[in-house]
Amino acid sequence: MNTTRVAIASALAAALVLPAATSQAQGNMEKCYGIAKAGKNDCQTAKSSCAGTSKKDAQADAWVSVPKGACEKIVNGKLTPS
Amino acid sequence: MLGLRDLQAAFAAHLEGEDRPSLADAVMGDTISAAARLRIHRHHVAESLATALAATYSTVQAIVGEDFFRGMAKAFAATDLPRQPVLAEYGGAFPAFVARYGPAASLPYLADMARLDWALNLAFHAPWRDRLSVSDLADLPSEGLLASRVSLAAGSTLVRSAYPIDRIWEASRPGAAAGRVSLDEGPASVIVLRRSGDAAFARLCPAETAFVEALADGKTLEEGAHAAFAVEPAFDLSTTFARLLALQAFAALQHES
Repeated sequence: MNTTRVAIASALAAALVLPAATSQAQGNMEKCYGIAKAGKNDCQTAKSSCAGTSKKDAQADAWVSVPKGACEKIVNGKLTPS
Repeated sequence: MLGLRDLQAAFAAHLEGEDRPSLADAVMGDTISAAARLRIHRHHVAESLATALAATYSTVQAIVGEDFFRGMAKAFAATDLPRQPVLAEYGGAFPAFVARYGPAASLPYLADMARLDWALNLAFHAPWRDRLSVSDLADLPSEGLLASRVSLAAGSTLVRSAYPIDRIWEASRPGAAAGRVSLDEGPASVIVLRRSGDAAFARLCPAETAFVEALADGKTLEEGAHAAFAVEPAFDLSTTFARLLALQAFAALQHES
């Protein structure tokens, strides 16, 4: 086994004895962003009802063509990724 | 009178926006005409699908606002109706649609946020399976450890972006601080994970991304390490591997035979 392989094997083995200490020491790196959804079922019948459904379909909707939400917080973008 | 097959085809075409007089003739009407009944149904389908998409793509909706989102969602639904009955599994093609949706062109990061939302949705609904733990690896000799192949746990996805998607996600939460996110913060990649009670993601640096990508590709731990060192010679293999194990990112171990 050459020195690089020994180094990699040692580093991997070291990870096995350090995980708890490592994750505690690196609270910032462990920052995890989670989602917890309400239960979703197959049909969502509880939520969808005909209440509010007009006789006209979506073609009559005057929908908004300008995004207006949290995008206002996101700035300095180039239009194409570099 | 339409045969069943033609009736179903006409009904499907109607849901996608095409009005066929032969369909209206096949539907009963009274004080509400047959054509109006069909429009009500189409409207209801579109609203229901837009609501399902809003539940799955909540970050996208937070970014563009509800009105814009519903317009975009209905435009998508008109071209891509569900092919199976589970609404949580509907909308996998939405990120690609967002990417080419003209009115959203001023938000080049939006499609990547949709990909992140979709990955979180998949993770959330993925089955919970046993994860790789330290004790599974502890007894392996060095050669065995180097040759081990670990795969990502069910529901795990790597999402790479040219934009700071983790920061944009954070800024889009309800009640997030008013601070701004600059796209100049640059690229980010995250690993999305199924956890026991929810789904989550954690940011990975470029070398960590190369490591995870190699492992997800079926490479050995040794090959993964080389891929990471190629990106960053000072890559901290121990810390990263320990971190990924602590995050329970990996599924069952398969030994080299």
